[in-house]
Amino acid sequence: MIISRKREWPFVLALTPLALLILGPFAWLIMSSLKSEAEISRADPFSVPANAMWQNYVDAWQIGGFGTLFVNSLVNVVAVVILTLSVCAPAGYAFSKVRFPGREWLFTLFIVGLTIPVQAIIIPLYQVLFNLGLINSLWGITLAQVSSGIPFAVFLMRSFFAGVPDELVEAAKIDGASHPRILVSVMLPLATPAISALVVIAALSTWNDFFLPLVVLISPGVQTLPLGLVRFASTYSSEYRLVFAGTVITFVPVIVLYILTQRRFTEGLTQGALKG
Amino acid sequence: MSAVETKSSTEAGEAIARVGHAPGGRSGHRDTLGTAMPLLLPAFAIYAVFSLAPIAWTVWLSFTDSRGLNTSAQFVGLANYQRAALDPLASQSLLHTLQWLAGHLVMAGGLGLVLSLLISRLKRSRIVFRTALFLPHLVSLAVVGVIWANIYDPFYGLLNTMLKGAGLGWLTMGWLSDPLIVLFSVNLASSWQGFGLYMLLFLAGLQNIDHSLYEAAEIDGANGWQRLWYVTLPGLSEVMTFVVSLCLINGLKGFATVFVMTGGGPFYQSELITTYIYRLAFSLQDHGLAAVLCILLSALAITVTVAFNQWRQRAAR
Repeated sequence: MIISRKREWPFVLALTPLALLILGPFAWLIMSSLKSEAEISRADPFSVPANAMWQNYVDAWQIGGFGTLFVNSLVNVVAVVILTLSVCAPAGYAFSKVRFPGREWLFTLFIVGLTIPVQAIIIPLYQVLFNLGLINSLWGITLAQVSSGIPFAVFLMRSFFAGVPDELVEAAKIDGASHPRILVSVMLPLATPAISALVVIAALSTWNDFFLPLVVLISPGVQTLPLGLVRFASTYSSEYRLVFAGTVITFVPVIVLYILTQRRFTEGLTQGALKG
Repeated sequence: MSAVETKSSTEAGEAIARVGHAPGGRSGHRDTLGTAMPLLLPAFAIYAVFSLAPIAWTVWLSFTDSRGLNTSAQFVGLANYQRAALDPLASQSLLHTLQWLAGHLVMAGGLGLVLSLLISRLKRSRIVFRTALFLPHLVSLAVVGVIWANIYDPFYGLLNTMLKGAGLGWLTMGWLSDPLIVLFSVNLASSWQGFGLYMLLFLAGLQNIDHSLYEAAEIDGANGWQRLWYVTLPGLSEVMTFVVSLCLINGLKGFATVFVMTGGGPFYQSELITTYIYRLAFSLQDHGLAAVLCILLSALAITVTVAFNQWRQRAAR
């Protein structure tokens, strides 16, 4: 046992004020979101509301059209995750277990986009989406988001599959299995750590994406949560109770989901990032 | 957390470097491109249309006088590059971006490191602190912009109210209206959102440090600071280079907080390359100049990645 690890309390003591400072904005937001407009401007920012105004949430939800925004964000995330997995798992498999001419060259091509920020290709990307009739469409941002995630996802799947012994693949081949068959029945069942890492990373970045929706999604009916909230907050900027309630609405679901799946989530995020 | 692997054998740039001997397929058996095609085609098709083609197209645009959709663009040679070199806003946005990177590295990276060092010493309360302190990272940067715009509000904002309440009224200021501090203020908001990931990565790295090294250091009579300096920080070097490059890449992508909180103002004092690209592309319709800045942005990102990999390879030797 490490001697220096025996005493915990000095570190708890050092961390507590830091944690309060860092989490202060959440406490302030939640408290303010339950206050009346008059109370927000008068009372101590962290005080417990005199009467919890749940009505703020009802109003924000209805005025801001958060129901639609929610559904759009959800559809967007689910589509990106499914599409990413179903195109990147086969590609990662091909790059690690199928020996074909030009493999290294093609892989380099896939990696080229790994570090290019999406802002750096936005003008032609907009034009491509425009030509395909995908402006103002959830499918448009979904495809663009999948594409910008492909280098990382293919890379991650390839690294993972490369760690699976070739003997497993050879044995399945001798049994007469085709590559797609090997992928589905041999490789994918082994790949849960890589898949869960990809799910967490793709879902979080899609849910929180702002730049592509800002450029592509014009009408409120197709917008996602962060974009919808920014629009809502600038329209009702003087009605603090609505802005605060709307803000809380956008992050509470992710936080609840995170706390419920805390262990797997953390593992997926760090492992995925460190592998990439 | 136990399964976290820091010593991953494969990382992006390393793969580029040793692409010559990629893993797999030891047997003499070779497949044809035809067998691989069905597996690769879906990913390649999406990637080619929505990433590769736009990359190439951006390079082309930088040599044209394109002013938007449906206009015929003429080849103008290096004219846009000349304009970019002479454009004070371009150099200003580059300078701001570099300041932004440094600020993000220190504030988000530094906070992540300090918190991970403290959390790694905890036992029972470890999960609580780790989970709680990661919460800001779950908030979209655009939403962070909305939250912090209200924190910084000069009259009703949390920050100035708290400062006045604490008797520090002389410290109150227009956090987003003062040209001298606006970039710092927005960066602080971004870093509040960003540090959580770095903290988790450092924590994963700390878990991989061999515990016997600490015992040996202790037997040698090393005090806490010496253990930190001679055991912990060297043991973190691999994760450290990774986090530094991630900080820089994330910093380069910074857009949403600036767009939401200041729109690049006041007087362009918080304009980054990304926000300038957005303005040039979608309100000023100057696609040629925007494309030059896009290439500058990509070049910065590629430089960071390449430098990171060189650093890694040197460290590995």
